[in-house]
Amino acid sequence: MKNKTKFGALMLLSASIMLSGCSVTTKNDVTESPKPTEGTEAVVDSGPVDIELLGMSSNEADINIIRDQLSKNGFNVKLNVQADYGSFKSQQDAGNFDIALSSWTTVTGNPDYAVRSLFKTGGDYSILADPEIDALIDAAGAQTPAEYTETYKQFEQQLVFDKAYIAPLYNSLKAQAFNKEVLNKDSVRISKSRSLPWEALDFNDTSKRDKDALVLQSTMPTLTSLDPIKGNDGSINIINTNMNVRLVNLTDDDKITSDGSLSYNHAIADGNSEYYFILRDNINFAQIKNKLAVDTGERVGGDDVIFSLDRAKDKNSVPDHRTFTLHEHIQKVELVTDAAALDSVKVSGGSDTVKAALESGLGAPISSLVSDKTQASSKDGKYQVVKLTTTEPFPQVLNYLAHQSAGIVSKKQVESINTYDVAKFDVNKDIPYGDQNTVTEGSAYNNTLYASGPYILSSKNDYEAIFYKNPAYMTGTENEPKIKNIKVRFIKDADSSLAALRSGEIHLYYGVSETKYDVVKGDSKLELQTIPSNGVSYLLFNTKNRPVATSADLRKAVLYSINQDEILAYYSGNKFKAISTLSPLVSTGLELKADAAKVKEFLNAYNTSK
Amino acid sequence: MTNPSITKQEVQFRLKSSQEYGQASFSGIVSLALALVLLLNSYIPSTGAFKPVVLIASLTYFIFTLLQLAVWSLIRRDLIQFGAIKRSTRLLGYVLLLSILSANLFIATAAFQLLKVKKSSAYTLSVYAALTTLLVFAVSALNIFKPYVANGFLIGMFLLIIVTVLQLAVVLLVAKYADKPILPRFMWVVAFILILTSVSGNLFALFLGLLLIAKLRDKGHTSGSKLGEVVERLSRSSTSMLGLLFILFLLTLSITSYLTFDYGMAIDNNYSLILQSPNMAYPLGTDNFGRDLFSRIVFGARISLVVGLMSTLIPVVIGGVLGAISGYYGRHTDNVIMRALDILYAIPGILLSIAIIAAFGASTVNLILALSVGAIPTYARTMRANVLLVSTLEYVQAARAFGSSDSAILFKHIVPNSIAPMIVKSTLTIGTAVISTSSLSYLGLGVEPHIPEWGNILKLGSAYLETHAFTAIYPGLAIIALVLSFNFLGDGLRDALDPKLD
Repeated sequence: MKNKTKFGALMLLSASIMLSGCSVTTKNDVTESPKPTEGTEAVVDSGPVDIELLGMSSNEADINIIRDQLSKNGFNVKLNVQADYGSFKSQQDAGNFDIALSSWTTVTGNPDYAVRSLFKTGGDYSILADPEIDALIDAAGAQTPAEYTETYKQFEQQLVFDKAYIAPLYNSLKAQAFNKEVLNKDSVRISKSRSLPWEALDFNDTSKRDKDALVLQSTMPTLTSLDPIKGNDGSINIINTNMNVRLVNLTDDDKITSDGSLSYNHAIADGNSEYYFILRDNINFAQIKNKLAVDTGERVGGDDVIFSLDRAKDKNSVPDHRTFTLHEHIQKVELVTDAAALDSVKVSGGSDTVKAALESGLGAPISSLVSDKTQASSKDGKYQVVKLTTTEPFPQVLNYLAHQSAGIVSKKQVESINTYDVAKFDVNKDIPYGDQNTVTEGSAYNNTLYASGPYILSSKNDYEAIFYKNPAYMTGTENEPKIKNIKVRFIKDADSSLAALRSGEIHLYYGVSETKYDVVKGDSKLELQTIPSNGVSYLLFNTKNRPVATSADLRKAVLYSINQDEILAYYSGNKFKAISTLSPLVSTGLELKADAAKVKEFLNAYNTSK
Repeated sequence: MTNPSITKQEVQFRLKSSQEYGQASFSGIVSLALALVLLLNSYIPSTGAFKPVVLIASLTYFIFTLLQLAVWSLIRRDLIQFGAIKRSTRLLGYVLLLSILSANLFIATAAFQLLKVKKSSAYTLSVYAALTTLLVFAVSALNIFKPYVANGFLIGMFLLIIVTVLQLAVVLLVAKYADKPILPRFMWVVAFILILTSVSGNLFALFLGLLLIAKLRDKGHTSGSKLGEVVERLSRSSTSMLGLLFILFLLTLSITSYLTFDYGMAIDNNYSLILQSPNMAYPLGTDNFGRDLFSRIVFGARISLVVGLMSTLIPVVIGGVLGAISGYYGRHTDNVIMRALDILYAIPGILLSIAIIAAFGASTVNLILALSVGAIPTYARTMRANVLLVSTLEYVQAARAFGSSDSAILFKHIVPNSIAPMIVKSTLTIGTAVISTSSLSYLGLGVEPHIPEWGNILKLGSAYLETHAFTAIYPGLAIIALVLSFNFLGDGLRDALDPKLD
């Protein structure tokens, strides 16, 4: 009897499951049956197409999203994930990829920089060679903002949609978090393009300025070079920006300004080919003696400016010159010694003279122009004026002058260190100015840096780098550095950096990941600052020895597999859509829409042509 | 009514020697702990309110805990007063059986043990086999709340129901007939059906089938098979049986998931479902790519189990053979083999694994090889020591005197008698292998990041530990539970296989 009821109960149970089973939707029900493609094109070899995606493990989330999107569109994705940028770059240089997950930040804030070294034939970072693309880049460079939008639209149409050299992913936010119990909230700037200015930073408790060190963070303990023209990457951009002053700066929203720069004022002469800068007389170079910063007594002046810019534009001024393409538009840099010459030139788009423009807001008007920098004295009206001429009308040159690679170095010091012959440079014997080994603790330590900026690097090891304020940098002005000692701690891992910030080990953490915003906001002693940045992530297609190099159809199939809406959803709206590296700077109105039908079409075309 | 004639020692002895009493207290305490954990989880500190579903679950656990504790006190009273458990107390087991509906395994297994006065190994196995299938069925049935289910879901669930019914029927049959000295002939059919159902991965059914066949063939001539003895001794320890239950539950789930679970849920990103808290459709929530954590953990069990078992089996075989040869032949053979293995032993295991994976690339096969190589020396040493001991025993000398060949002596007489410590050691190290797999995946050296593997899941989840803790807690619990299960099983096996404890 008991058995029977048990059996009956089981039958009832199974029957109810079966009944409910009838209303269960299976996977086949939800996946639409593939519709026959219109027309009668023959489908050749519809098996998945192999594609190799190269990326860094720090971008694991992006890699997973792309892998997912590509494999849903009929690709067989092979991942090549490298642990750090060095091994990523060597894999990229070796050509071991079909698509490489790349990113670019336009630190100068001008559109020309966003495309020139990336996509122009022979550019520093370019693997493309397409005359049509080159022509459009050159054409847009010479145009005013009103004109270049249309040219850049054509450029994006070519680069992304017609030829599919890149597949854009997203434009990022720039985010930094800091300890508001330690740092004065109003002293921490976040700018769209320029690096964080250290001289503005201040403690809440100003009595600590001389006693306590401010601790910042960086991921890369190997510094490319402290010679500003020899590096342009994340390891040194912030450091070199704060060690060398420039002729102009960028504001937080990417306008050109003379504030906090070596010039009191600057002016563009009519014709957009001549640029004038009136120099300060209150900055001296600092150097390190006994590991502490001291004033060299040598003023930063016109001869240093001319020397620095001449070597910046000259490919052969140093071995491993990494930034000359940024300055290729500079034709000539010279001192103006005749004040009358300034009176005869009008400013671009105005009726004022250049002299009036340079004098505006100065305590004493120009009484004479001096050629010897030691003779300059602004309170007596004795100034130095530098004139820069470009090869063609090119207003964006000012953005490049605001870049760290246009930092002013000491003519005397650099010439005394770089005594080697550039053509016969021997990396084992010759020690160039700014070599990171000369500032690394150990037997090779011999700090020969001369810093024109607010801070100077004293020494570094794999754990941290120690900076001191330049004692003769705009003293008595608002731009005088507040905090005496800054330490940059090298922490590779993002989670560890955030943990260090929260435990108070570091005071400011630049580059908080989108997925950690909630954590930062939830911590009462932290402040999160975000601003739309000029950073864009994209997929770069290989241009050699791979099917993607020859088949635009295959590239387009990848392009239309990318769904930016999904990426935005993953980052909960903390990323923006992008079309190319120009997107944060120029709004061309183009948009990439994922389209599975197009992917199929292009894949068929690729398979037929194979 | 108290019995003044028994001493305190006698009371202690009666309580200690009763399996039911021990199990009742164990399951009562564990169930109480679970109820408290659930209660804490149901409380939302920000609003001061309780989550209704979790609260109900907690209350159910409390009710069954109270029942269990009541039964426990009854058992205690019975034992002290009468020296045995009364029939009325045993019948309460049927009430406690209901706890299986709330997935309270601890009380359910104790109830099954309470119901039967004389517990044969066949009964224990049949109960555990049915429990395993029932659990797998219940867990798979959770898929019904998903927007869609796998294509094989209906077939899979139907088969699971049939298997559950069959195995429950077997429980009844075994309870009725298994104690008899000679089994009825239809038990052959039952045994074969059981072996057939063990295709699902339910090894309890396989053991039971084999046990029944052994008994049928034996026809009551001997006192019982060796397997029966081991199971009987093993089943005295609740923890090791629960460990075995969890392992075989995972194994069965891994195999049946080919039909009942949809791999797409575990691997395809779904951006509209990012970081959902646990709910009916996604019982363990979703991860930062909108993938169902529940499915991911189920599919992750496959990799963890395969890697754990394979990376233990390979060194057991290789190390065992090397150790046996070197122990049996001795002298130069011993020296050469053992010194070579010493060199291998000198290299830190995890570093060796990292080096192998760095050299040959990350894949499941390489992962198994990397974890296996480092473990060979320890197994060789264990085997060698056993062989050295056993080869001096009389029966080996007798075999030698009869002129048996070396290989016959070694593999027929010595190895079978020195294998027990190897089994114990391997169950204890499977846990380590599972942890190593997860550690390597956590370091990004194991399987590819999107493949559901427990270490991978934990790694992704650890980034959300503060904001969405469930993404890290559940894979972490799964790893802990599996490793703990293997350790408990290893402990139990050591006792069960040790002849000195007879």
